[in-house]
Amino acid sequence: MIESFREAFGRALVELGRENPNLVVLDADVKSSTKTAYFERAFPERFIQVGISEQDMVSMAGGLAIAGKIPVVSAFAAFLMRAWEQIRNTIARDNLNVKLIPTHSGFSDHMDGSSHQCLEDIALMRVLPNMTVVVPADAQSVPVLLRQAVELDGPVYMRLGRDHAPRVYDSPKLELGKASVLRKGNDVLLVAAGVMVSVALETARKLEERGISAGVVDMHTIKPLDEETLLNLASKVELVVTLEEHSIHGGLGGAVAEVLSEKMPKRLIRIGTTEFGRSSRDYFALLERYGLTAESVVRKVEVVLT
Amino acid sequence: MSEALDPRTKLQSMLQPVNNFHLESSETCLEILSAVLEEKGEKDVVILSKGHSAPAFYVMLHEMGLLSDEELYSFADIDGLPSHVIRGLPFIEVSSGSLGQGLSVANGIAMAKRIDGEDGYVYVILGDGELDEGQVWEAAMTASHHRLDRVVAIVDRNYFQLTGGTEEILSKEPLADKWRAFGWEVIEVPNRKEELKKALETAKKLVGRPKIIIARWGV
Repeated sequence: MIESFREAFGRALVELGRENPNLVVLDADVKSSTKTAYFERAFPERFIQVGISEQDMVSMAGGLAIAGKIPVVSAFAAFLMRAWEQIRNTIARDNLNVKLIPTHSGFSDHMDGSSHQCLEDIALMRVLPNMTVVVPADAQSVPVLLRQAVELDGPVYMRLGRDHAPRVYDSPKLELGKASVLRKGNDVLLVAAGVMVSVALETARKLEERGISAGVVDMHTIKPLDEETLLNLASKVELVVTLEEHSIHGGLGGAVAEVLSEKMPKRLIRIGTTEFGRSSRDYFALLERYGLTAESVVRKVEVVLT
Repeated sequence: MSEALDPRTKLQSMLQPVNNFHLESSETCLEILSAVLEEKGEKDVVILSKGHSAPAFYVMLHEMGLLSDEELYSFADIDGLPSHVIRGLPFIEVSSGSLGQGLSVANGIAMAKRIDGEDGYVYVILGDGELDEGQVWEAAMTASHHRLDRVVAIVDRNYFQLTGGTEEILSKEPLADKWRAFGWEVIEVPNRKEELKKALETAKKLVGRPKIIIARWGV
């Protein structure tokens, strides 16, 4: 079943807004795309429109947090990154309680092309002290992780895609900072985030048909990384594969590589991108072009294991 | 006048060992900080957006008995006072040092106060060079659009920025007209404490719009 990340986000935000009067939402004129318009309709007095100015929005959220609010900032991931320095110098440096929740990350804004597709944000956020970085796998995960992100005292970056969220969970019991083990395996460990969790599950099924036993982990919290679960599972296999809709530099692949190389040197394949995206009428055509399909991952694993 | 001279001497002696770190832009900020801290009420908030004027702020804290001599002279030493203000110092709600972000933060605090039905003004001190940052004008639009009349900005109009005169580097004039065009109430005063205090009083009485005090140096 395919659901929508942003729909799940918009609805969950209203639910949280009902429970928590301190929740405020800021928008830079993309409310109908991010679905924060639902929050505006429910709580107009707690919805703040700043116009097309992401830098002002992020710093203003800092002020709201200083005054005791829990601001949720939403925008397209690519354009929230133009406020990276504001996120660094005002939000992260002062450890302010701001929730940065972009949509349209990865290739999910397929039609809009390379300017709108965001393949660098995890790396940019992961490098910041105090920042928690979360990438939900599907629409079911969004409300569960969003609630915990709002309850956490400190800055959180929660990366969402646009609409394509193949269902991974029915009623997920997820814990921020704790990897979710979906499948055990003896030969290879697939560590994935976001939409690529569903691709990892498909990859594992295909590998099984070929006699290769693959484990799958949903690493929804990329920072702080659940090193314990990673090392525990990695110790049992020959090969670790990371899968992400992001650059292989500095994202999930980078995070896993850092931990393994220091603590448990292990053969690693990082699946992700190394270039800018392109426009496509079809989201799947992009995943295929950049090698982010189960077939493509299977071929890469077979080269190493056989 | 001796009241003004004394902090200036203090500033000079504290900055001498550190290559006169932002001495001039700290000097022009002394009377502004002094006026704002004297006017500040219990529920008011001060944001020093031009964070490099931290030395002037420390001199004010010293004058108020909140810093010892030893602390003052620890400026920019490894465990001493930070070179740009950080959250946790008295009166400092947000770390600065990166220009152009303070007005947005002030708007956020003012907006939260409005949502909560709380009183209090948010004073934000800006440098004139800082006005080159586009974010300042984004925030200027946000403040006037949302009628954040609890925001009172003060521009240290000293006519210089890091590598030269403001009108050579990137002209600011006609500065008052720019702010008016962005929907702000503008008050222009000489950069002197008593006149600044009067301007702050006037600003508080103007309702419905954010207010900016342009504090002109050397007039």
